[in-house]
Amino acid sequence: MHLNELIGYFREEFFLPALQSEGKEALLEEMVEPLLEHEVIKNKRVILETLKKRETLGSTGIGYGVAIPHCRTLAVADVQIVIGRSTKGVSYEALDGEPVHLFFLIVAPPQEKSNLYLPILGKLVEILRDESFRKQLQSIDTFDAFKNILLGE
Amino acid sequence: MPKSQLELLVLYQDVQLMLHEAEEQENMGFQVEGRKNLENALKELADTIQTRYIRTYDRLKTRHTRPIAPVSNDVCLGCFAKQPTSYKARAWDDKQIITCEHCGRILYWIY
Repeated sequence: MHLNELIGYFREEFFLPALQSEGKEALLEEMVEPLLEHEVIKNKRVILETLKKRETLGSTGIGYGVAIPHCRTLAVADVQIVIGRSTKGVSYEALDGEPVHLFFLIVAPPQEKSNLYLPILGKLVEILRDESFRKQLQSIDTFDAFKNILLGE
Repeated sequence: MPKSQLELLVLYQDVQLMLHEAEEQENMGFQVEGRKNLENALKELADTIQTRYIRTYDRLKTRHTRPIAPVSNDVCLGCFAKQPTSYKARAWDDKQIITCEHCGRILYWIY
């Protein structure tokens, strides 16, 4: 997947630069909230439970301060990505045991025409492995600045 | 925790799919050591759902990979058959589940 294609899935209303939650469960709830506000989902129950079940399979906190909570669920019609940042960090049972500062929540329907869920997940894992990229993300506050970093501008 | 039997069935299908895709995610570098946890969660869910619904689900599973289909604009996205408009009003009634008149899949209205 090309980076430009990935950027097309990011929405300003799903960019949360100042997350308040301190624990995993509250964090997931905070990140799902905009999906409800913008009528992408009918209620939070199914999606939250599916995300929590995914965490029982193994933490989506992949280390170096990043987590990518994700699931397929019938509760959404299209692929949705919510980006969040916590300046103080969240206790998320990440692989390296460190607090998590950057979150990319991905939800996708079970069947999607373009089948982009796994390519999106793979691309995010790839770009977030770049340390300088992660450091830049820690310092921005606006959606435009976030997109500019992605575009290398 | 989901409230209705339909929501629990949706969760049941989501978890089945998650287990199916676990290997691909493991290859991406995610930690996937808790298959047993998820299998247990699936069993617990099955115990929470009424037997008649689980039976319907399992019967449909022999014909369709995903027995529950979302509905958009009154169209079943499993087979694209138009559903009666009156169905939507009954969609969240926990006393019954609604199935597609054409393909028989369990219907789930996203909005």
